Amino acid sequence: MKKLILNSSLFLVFFSSSILAIELPSGDEIALKINARDEGIAVSRHLKMQMTDRHGKVRVRETRAFRKYFGDEKRTAIFYLKPKNIKDTAFLTYDYADKEKDDDQWLYLPAMRKVRRISASDRGDYFLGTDLSYEDIKLETRISIKDYTRKTIAESEVDGFHCYVVAETTVDNETAEELGHLRRESCVDDNIWIVRKSQFWDLQDNLLKTTYFRDISKVQGIWTAHTIDVENHKTGHHTKFTFSDVDYSKGVKDSVFTKNVLKRGL
Amino acid sequence: MKTNQSIPHRFFFAVTAKPKTIMALAFVIIIATGAFIPTLTIDSRSEAFLPEDDPALLYRDHVEETFGLKDPMVIAVVNKGEHGVFNPQSLQLIQWLTNEVMKMPEINRDRVVSLATEDNITGNEEGMLVEKFYKNQPETQNDADNIRKAVMDFPLYLGSLVARDGSSALIVTEVYDVNEAPKVYEKLLALVERAPTHGEQLHVAGDGAVSGYLVTYINADSARLVPISVVIITLLCILSFRTWRGVLIPTVIILSATASALGFMAAAGVPIYVITTSMPILLVGVAVADSIHVLSQYYEELANHPEKGQRELVVRTMELMWRPVTVTTLTSMIGFLGISISSFMPSMQAFGLFSLIGLGVAGLFSLTFVPAALVILKPVHSSAFKTSGPDIFSRTMDKVGGWVLGHTKIVIFLAFIVCVGGVIGALKLEVNESWVENFRASEPIFLADVAINETLDGSNTLDIVIETANKEDIFKPENLRRIDALQSFLTTLPHVNGSTSIVDYIKQMNRSLNENKTSEYLIPDDVDLISQYFLLYSASGDPTDFEEQVDYDYQMALVRARLDSARYQQSKVVVEEAQKYIDYVFNTDEIKATLSGRVNVDYHWLDTLLGTQFKSVLFALVLVWLLVCVSLRSFYGGILAVIPVMLACLSVYAFMGVMGITLAVGTSMTAAIALGIGVDFSIHTLDRIKLLITDQGVEPDVALRRLFPTTGRALLFSFVAVFVGFGILGLSYVPPLSKLGMLIAFSVLISFISSMTVLPALIKQLKPAFLGYSKKCSVCERNERSALEIIKQQP
Repeated sequence: MKKLILNSSLFLVFFSSSILAIELPSGDEIALKINARDEGIAVSRHLKMQMTDRHGKVRVRETRAFRKYFGDEKRTAIFYLKPKNIKDTAFLTYDYADKEKDDDQWLYLPAMRKVRRISASDRGDYFLGTDLSYEDIKLETRISIKDYTRKTIAESEVDGFHCYVVAETTVDNETAEELGHLRRESCVDDNIWIVRKSQFWDLQDNLLKTTYFRDISKVQGIWTAHTIDVENHKTGHHTKFTFSDVDYSKGVKDSVFTKNVLKRGL
Repeated sequence: MKTNQSIPHRFFFAVTAKPKTIMALAFVIIIATGAFIPTLTIDSRSEAFLPEDDPALLYRDHVEETFGLKDPMVIAVVNKGEHGVFNPQSLQLIQWLTNEVMKMPEINRDRVVSLATEDNITGNEEGMLVEKFYKNQPETQNDADNIRKAVMDFPLYLGSLVARDGSSALIVTEVYDVNEAPKVYEKLLALVERAPTHGEQLHVAGDGAVSGYLVTYINADSARLVPISVVIITLLCILSFRTWRGVLIPTVIILSATASALGFMAAAGVPIYVITTSMPILLVGVAVADSIHVLSQYYEELANHPEKGQRELVVRTMELMWRPVTVTTLTSMIGFLGISISSFMPSMQAFGLFSLIGLGVAGLFSLTFVPAALVILKPVHSSAFKTSGPDIFSRTMDKVGGWVLGHTKIVIFLAFIVCVGGVIGALKLEVNESWVENFRASEPIFLADVAINETLDGSNTLDIVIETANKEDIFKPENLRRIDALQSFLTTLPHVNGSTSIVDYIKQMNRSLNENKTSEYLIPDDVDLISQYFLLYSASGDPTDFEEQVDYDYQMALVRARLDSARYQQSKVVVEEAQKYIDYVFNTDEIKATLSGRVNVDYHWLDTLLGTQFKSVLFALVLVWLLVCVSLRSFYGGILAVIPVMLACLSVYAFMGVMGITLAVGTSMTAAIALGIGVDFSIHTLDRIKLLITDQGVEPDVALRRLFPTTGRALLFSFVAVFVGFGILGLSYVPPLSKLGMLIAFSVLISFISSMTVLPALIKQLKPAFLGYSKKCSVCERNERSALEIIKQQP
């Protein structure tokens, strides 16, 4: 059944793109251009996470977040500042380039005064109660080449910017299950090669969520989305990430990504 | 009396003057009302029993919306073997079923819960471990034993997802669109059918299943029972009259009753409820009774006065019959009116109201269409009403009459015994209803419910909503402990086997973060730690993971207790005790609890059923009595008329007591309907006796005897029609309807028997003046012997 859906959607993608493909750049070309964009080795920023449930009740968390590449390995540290009852809680994760190797994750709970290791998450798991998946966090504005086959299917406009619509379908069922979605469609700004909007379809091909990357501007020469809006269509849950005080230039000390700093604080 | 006679005479003279117009009008009415029938919809939800603005129902809807609760569809895997479901084959079966249901487009894959999907939260020295129970596909008994160990050490799923003794496990699913539940139920049944089992029993259950199943039931019932009842009534008419018109005329009356009842229902936008599906079947029986009486009278007139013209015969028949037909129609309508007025349930209100309309139209047709149709036709004798002598039915009734009038004291004594038995039965009458009893005990859905209630904590939920004063107050340890104590209290109540709330998750998290020590399965003292646990959990959970336990502001929480019984008598204890605990122990200014959930909703509406039942009976009784009083112009007559039906009602109660039938939605309507319909027999009896004595000048006791071969015969056939109508309902696949049908059939039987025995016996003993008995009773006694002599001399 799943294969059938997959095949038929592939067919549709193929069929529609074969008419338009004459003047549109291929999906893979676009993907390469996106990934070639500079993201900086390390970044530090203020991250405000605002989550809203389907009744409109809101949770706001403010954090200081760090990200740094160690070769192919990516490390992320998040220190909670607000609200009061979770202040000083901190989260650390090591994403290894080797897919076979499980990621390492730790959480510091100030009320216990202990750093606790937590089991690795699946790529499709939700990240700290938000609507973004671990994979979304890991990739930020990049694209995973291996997981999908892709076609450019149309031209469109998002928030007033011209873009190409790239339809991506997971390469196989296993990947789809890992990622938690079957396919997605992204609108890519062909001026600065950044994704402005992505729509995801779940494994039963129902519309799952829509992500918008907004307030995109250059910070220290690097294109940076200052707002990420995610709406989960199935649960009615909504997440808004707001980045401020973004800094690529100062660099981030390696020690930030250690259990000691996690416990001691910044 | 003279003026009365002249008005009906003029009326029926007018009716028979333009028979074709009347008949055309009748068919127009049937077609016009019947045209609405195709627009009818079926509402088989259990909530349909309650008005939409019922506070208990509104609150439950609000709670379901707040906590995102949906009624699940469940597959239960039961293995009675040594290892229960914890053997490689059964565990693989659970995995297989889980994968298969996830493929169904109607089912929300994200909300499928089973052992194969769930994580085990444990801990070690380093921290917390969240791993699937099925780390790998279980291949050996050793793998299965490991899973068993892990599951049994994880209290949250015990009793709710897996049986505490390991003998069963559930695959819980949720459909996107509840309207698709019936379809999904069928698909799940098909899935279970082709599942690779190794001695496991598989069951499909859930609310969607119930509603889906009822639709199937309703359709199957109507398709089967309506034709049966039409065939039987037709046969009855053939047997009674042995002429074409004797069959066709009653058929038109049946059509008019059903078309108008269903047509008005459709036009009013009222859906078919489970109860109202019985309407066409019982209307067939009840509506036809009047035309049987009219036709019997007509054939009798024809046999006695073959020289008279058709129109004269018809008008004469109608002059004699209009009063009993009108009164019996009105009394039957009163029975249904009683139900419609006294019940607050939309389904019962609709049942009462539209049956009443159908009966009213049938009565109207009996008084207009029947004479019009008869007058168009040439007089044709019915071989059943020969001038040469009475047929077997007349002779039988005559023999009955002879015996009854000869043993009046025995008859009255027997009636007294029935009375006493009935009163005892009525006092013992108790409400007990459970939704699952809507199904026969052999049905898969019933078996599924039994299996789940036997092995797990139960399929019936009592929800308790906890509300605190401020946001995040649920994190406060004192509040959590209060909730914990409430849960402990609930499990001490009978039939409550378990409960879950956010407290259970907090304890489990505390344990897993403290090296998984059993001693750490408790509520921590630090409010900050508790909020940090939730952040920790979110590292691997979904944003909406605790939606069913706590609201997004952590200000409200839901405790869900599971009961293994849905029966009113059992839920009553639980609901009332829980309410007491909440009022006297739990509630403070800071934290409040409110009951909700299916068990609570059902308790609230069933609680009123006993009162509704007696109200409707009393209403019908008083109104019927008044009507008969007016019709016979005698209070005494009214009392005599209701004696047989009161006997019938009392014997129904005695019967319910003996058979262990309790008062439920269906059966609570028995008495009022039975009263309205059953009284017809005594009205016809009294009316005929009065007619014979006062209008035809027959000696009272002779009149009593003459009643049996004529009116007695007609009553026998109309009784059989009504009895068969309700008796067929007894064959329904829906147990409440089948019980309703059987009980009414039984009470109609008693009404008929007592109208033919107790009533004449009482009349003979009491010699009521309103019937034309002379006030000097000694005269009657002296005449008795000679009167009987005269009858014996008759051919």
